[in-house]
Amino acid sequence: MIEDIASICGTRLGPGTLYGAIARLEQLGWIEPLPPEERRRPYRITAEGLRVLRAKLATLQRVAKAGVGRLQAL
Amino acid sequence: MNPALAHLLTRLYPRAWRERYGTEFEALLQTGRGDLRTSANVVWSALGEHISPIRSSKMDQSAHSFGAIMKRPSAFLPPAMSLAALAIVLGYVAMYGAAREPDEGSAAHLWQLLMAGQMPVLAFFAIKWLPRAPRQTLCVLALQAGVALAAMAPVFFLNL
Repeated sequence: MIEDIASICGTRLGPGTLYGAIARLEQLGWIEPLPPEERRRPYRITAEGLRVLRAKLATLQRVAKAGVGRLQAL
Repeated sequence: MNPALAHLLTRLYPRAWRERYGTEFEALLQTGRGDLRTSANVVWSALGEHISPIRSSKMDQSAHSFGAIMKRPSAFLPPAMSLAALAIVLGYVAMYGAAREPDEGSAAHLWQLLMAGQMPVLAFFAIKWLPRAPRQTLCVLALQAGVALAAMAPVFFLNL
């Protein structure tokens, strides 16, 4: 997951930061744990998590579009 | 990362957090880098988890139940002080009657001290517990207010 985030965002999360985010997302009910695989535990996004993610991405898309538009006008 | 160092770093987190994430977190640390930056990140996050636990309400719901909160000194002291104040008033009325005295005696001073002294405790309780468990804290506050009103009632109704 750390490598995946680094490849998308260019920022490498520390394990403490990653698990802080996992704990928050789980508390909010946006992800849920799956049965452990040996000592590792996979997580999956919940239906509520999907709804929130779609809404956040739509907002980000609007912000990015508006930002690019205004930058082009300069 | 060195397994011993991974274990030590995981131990920095609160027990409740370790019970939920400890095994997987330690496994992640063991497969990752063991550099100073990673260790500093874990130490910082563990410190943050002690100061402001992210998952405390879910991992340790029993600690935030009404009964568990009532066992906190800041929760049970105000009602205890109000009950003591009520006992003083009732005891005074039983012994000397409900006649209003021109000079306040030691019973009145004790009553005032008990009622005023619980205010800082009440404020501390509300500030500490309202953000953590709002519903249960409001129930405790209602109980505290009810007992305080009960202690004030005889003074008000008997014109003491």
